[in-house]
Amino acid sequence: MALMALELGLTNSLLLISIIILTLGAAFSIKDRRIGFIASIIAIVVSVASLTAETYFYGVFVAAIGLLNIFCLYISQNQIKGIDYALVALMVLATVWVILSNNFAVILATFVLVSVPTYVLVLTGEKDLKLEVGIKYITFMVFATVLFLIGSLLLVFSSQVFSAQASPILYIIGYVFLILGLSLEVGVAPLHEWVPDVFAAADAIPISIVASLAKIVPFIVAFKILIATSTPLTESITLFTAFLAVVSMFVGNIGALTSREHGRVLGYSTVANMGYVLATLVAIVRLEFVYLAIAGALLQLFANSAGKIGFFTAIKKEGMGSPFTYALALSFIGMPPLMGFWSKLFITLSLVNSGYLWLAVLLVLNSAISVPYYLRLARELGKGRGTGIVNLIGLLVTLLVIVTLYPPDWFLQGVKGVVVMFGISGISGIS
Amino acid sequence: MNWSMNEILQLSLMFLVPVISSLPIAIAWIYRPGEEWARKLPYLSVFGLFISLLISLNILFNVEDGFYSYPWIPSLNINFVFVVDYLSRYMGVLTALIAFLIGVYGLEYMKDDYRLGWYWFFFNTFTASMLLVVYSDNLLTLLIGWEGLGLASWGLIGHWFRDDDEITFVGEKGRKVGPLELSWSPSFGGWRAISTIRFGDMPMFFAIATIFALVGTLDIHSIPWHELFERIGFFGSVFLLFLFLMGPFTKSAQLPFSEWLMTAMTGPTTVSALLHSATMVAAGTYLFMRLSWYIQPWNAETPALAVVYSVVLFLGLISAFYGAIVALGLRERKVLLAASTMSSLGLMFASSAASFWIGQIAIIVAFWYLMVHAFAKASLFLVAGHLIHATHDRFCSGDRVFSRKMKAAFAVTIVATLFLSGIPPFTAYWVKSAMDGVMEHLAEEGVILPFYLLVLVSVIYSAFLAKFLSLNFMRGEKPKHEHVENANLMKLAYSIMVSMLFILLYAVSHEHHFVEEGHLVTSFAVGVLVTVSYLIALYKPSVKAFSRVGVFLTDRMYLPFLNDFIIPKIGWFIAAVVDYANRGIDYFFHQAIPSFFDWISRLIRAVQKGYLPSYLRIVAAWIMIFIVAIAIAGWYGWP
Repeated sequence: MALMALELGLTNSLLLISIIILTLGAAFSIKDRRIGFIASIIAIVVSVASLTAETYFYGVFVAAIGLLNIFCLYISQNQIKGIDYALVALMVLATVWVILSNNFAVILATFVLVSVPTYVLVLTGEKDLKLEVGIKYITFMVFATVLFLIGSLLLVFSSQVFSAQASPILYIIGYVFLILGLSLEVGVAPLHEWVPDVFAAADAIPISIVASLAKIVPFIVAFKILIATSTPLTESITLFTAFLAVVSMFVGNIGALTSREHGRVLGYSTVANMGYVLATLVAIVRLEFVYLAIAGALLQLFANSAGKIGFFTAIKKEGMGSPFTYALALSFIGMPPLMGFWSKLFITLSLVNSGYLWLAVLLVLNSAISVPYYLRLARELGKGRGTGIVNLIGLLVTLLVIVTLYPPDWFLQGVKGVVVMFGISGISGIS
Repeated sequence: MNWSMNEILQLSLMFLVPVISSLPIAIAWIYRPGEEWARKLPYLSVFGLFISLLISLNILFNVEDGFYSYPWIPSLNINFVFVVDYLSRYMGVLTALIAFLIGVYGLEYMKDDYRLGWYWFFFNTFTASMLLVVYSDNLLTLLIGWEGLGLASWGLIGHWFRDDDEITFVGEKGRKVGPLELSWSPSFGGWRAISTIRFGDMPMFFAIATIFALVGTLDIHSIPWHELFERIGFFGSVFLLFLFLMGPFTKSAQLPFSEWLMTAMTGPTTVSALLHSATMVAAGTYLFMRLSWYIQPWNAETPALAVVYSVVLFLGLISAFYGAIVALGLRERKVLLAASTMSSLGLMFASSAASFWIGQIAIIVAFWYLMVHAFAKASLFLVAGHLIHATHDRFCSGDRVFSRKMKAAFAVTIVATLFLSGIPPFTAYWVKSAMDGVMEHLAEEGVILPFYLLVLVSVIYSAFLAKFLSLNFMRGEKPKHEHVENANLMKLAYSIMVSMLFILLYAVSHEHHFVEEGHLVTSFAVGVLVTVSYLIALYKPSVKAFSRVGVFLTDRMYLPFLNDFIIPKIGWFIAAVVDYANRGIDYFFHQAIPSFFDWISRLIRAVQKGYLPSYLRIVAAWIMIFIVAIAIAGWYGWP
């Protein structure tokens, strides 16, 4: 216990140190924006050093995605050069922090911490501020955050003050608010209206951050709160989540089929992917298999992030080497041994084990529907064999999705270790 | 069950040696076709046939009755099981001997051929397959041999695949009836043979599979037939037996599957003699005999068996009658003999089927008839081959002058026709008498028709045999060409072949049953009738007044329309249906589904107008809808 406390103490202090580093970096980047760049990288590396053994692979993936985001920002222009790196580093810190913490207040804070920096980032662009995009995005994010926070509070309140059986209504409403808030935040249909517009109109690099790094924390927060407050009631209300997940998969995949703009296609692709990830929340009804669901959800989010960063960079730089675009497309489709295959495999297994066979079948069916537009993206964005800076990013994201060439049992085992600690201190549930 | 290695070794040698001994010529002909040294290799093939003959003789005289088995797939209870009993003992020798004699004949008959490798490989493969069918007790090994027969039959009928020699065709070239030209080439004949036979083999295969699934064994002697029939009931039994018998019916060219046998005459005469009269076509009747031998239908009052055996009885008799009158009208040497073969096969089926009422003796009678028919008909075919070589004519022709030049052929034809038609006191008379006896017994049981049909067929049969003799050697036209050569090997072969009938006569005279039946008044009366019809036909082989009937019979009562017109129409109809289905599937997957998804996709994207207020309204509406829906669900009793 003492060792654990010491470890936690060390973790917290390392996180604190990295916050100080990135803040100072951001401040001094007014002098030279390369200071902000380097300080942010150092802050991310320090935060990774704070990880425990079980969360190590998770942290490395998150850091890799954050570094890729920073690198993409580095090779493009915007109005807040220097600060933008620090915003991404802050999001990485929040994403690392959320997996480690059991503190309800900290968890809610991380949710806000990854949300708010994107408000700023989405406004930026090569030449002008993207005001219309920003307003659309921020409006819905505020809406989402409010719903999510109210839902979280209601859930925790219902399991703290009353027992859930005594006040089912409070639990149900809290659950629905939380799921709706989450859906609006990440872009699950039918609350997805902002996604295709924003993805098509915003600058490609900032939106790639919204599509990648910003998606991870909301789901982990949702998992932690739902696991901590789960009651026998969860089993019946879960159908609501399953329904939203299915709608989102179909709307996303079918909507992408006839979309022409690449950004719009990626927007619908995000809607579909968020459907897949949302589906994993039904696994809470069988807590012994929830580690499969979380592993699947995380891998799906990582694969989605890698793909989105790669494709948006390709849009920004008007093309990328076709081997990379095809590797990303095949990962999205779910071709073994790429990461997209393993994530869908774990998700499907968790759904089957939770008694949601029909949902698993629909998920596989959706993977088939998605084939045409991913291959179209790969063909239209992939040009030549690829050289130059854009292909360096292509190579890096391809390495990220191909790392599962070694079957990711290692990741599964890590998640299994983390899930034991999932929950919120002081609240009944799994712990 | 006997596990003696010695017998197994002999049997496997008997099956393998013919095939192995034909490989040198087959391989040589691929690389050095037509070279002088290659033309010597067929002697090796015939030597292989000789080895098989020796082994079959050894089995006849020295091997005890019994079942000889060697493990194959023990986990499924499927083994190589071979039977030596009354039927296989004689049938084996008959097959090996006829194959060997025709092999000798073929050495000369085929010596200038352009495809010797093909010919001898399939000829010897055929012999091995037939021997496998004869000695197999296991239905799976039997099926392997059975399919070998079909394959060899296809290969040999279509041997002259170039279709460039009119002498190899069947039917008059250019003769049109309605939309059809009644003329068939070797390649067409081969295709027709294999397609008809496969049509029967498929149901037979499923029947065998069903039997295995139901009783777990494929050894004919150990299948509990009567328990099986009881288990699957009346309709099941009838259905299963007919599925099975589709194989024998097609292979033995019973109605309406007879046409392939007629156009099989496009193959070399040696093939017609061995496959399409003596052995392969008899395999169908032989299999029926073997089944009946172990089913023992006379021991059971099963209604299903009564139905099946009645149908086989009448199908056989009707086919016999059809074949006989068609043969009466035909003037093509080999096709006439083919029709007569079909007639004889019908009689074999009918007599075996009578075993249901009469007992095992009916099968023995049918089997003896099979043997007599095999030697006599093979002799006649070999003579016909010689005649075709000598006259370059497929149609009957020959007068007394010609017959003086073909003394051996003339003599052999006289003996073969006399011994086969049932004229007392020659071989077939005694066997046919026993068959008369069988049918008379049936009449006592209240089934009168078969006896009269049999007498009628016998009379016609004797008439066309005499007609064949007369038109080729006595009262026919003078041949247009005469190339009488010194064909000593051929003469030797058919002389030995026909002399086997004397041995059979000697054997028949030691079978009390045949001798007794031959001394009955009815039998003798039938014999006299047959003799009279023989003499009349000999004196007047063709009657001008009946020429129109003759044409109708020559055209085989227009049965070719079934094969060449109606069935192709059905085939094209099915093809059209499949084509429409294909287009439907194509439309569904390439048009309907994509455009459906296209439509849905546009519907989904129609929401994206770009106005923030309308988006807000939509989102707010959805959230309200969900909350209200959940509230209603809760109202109506949340669990």
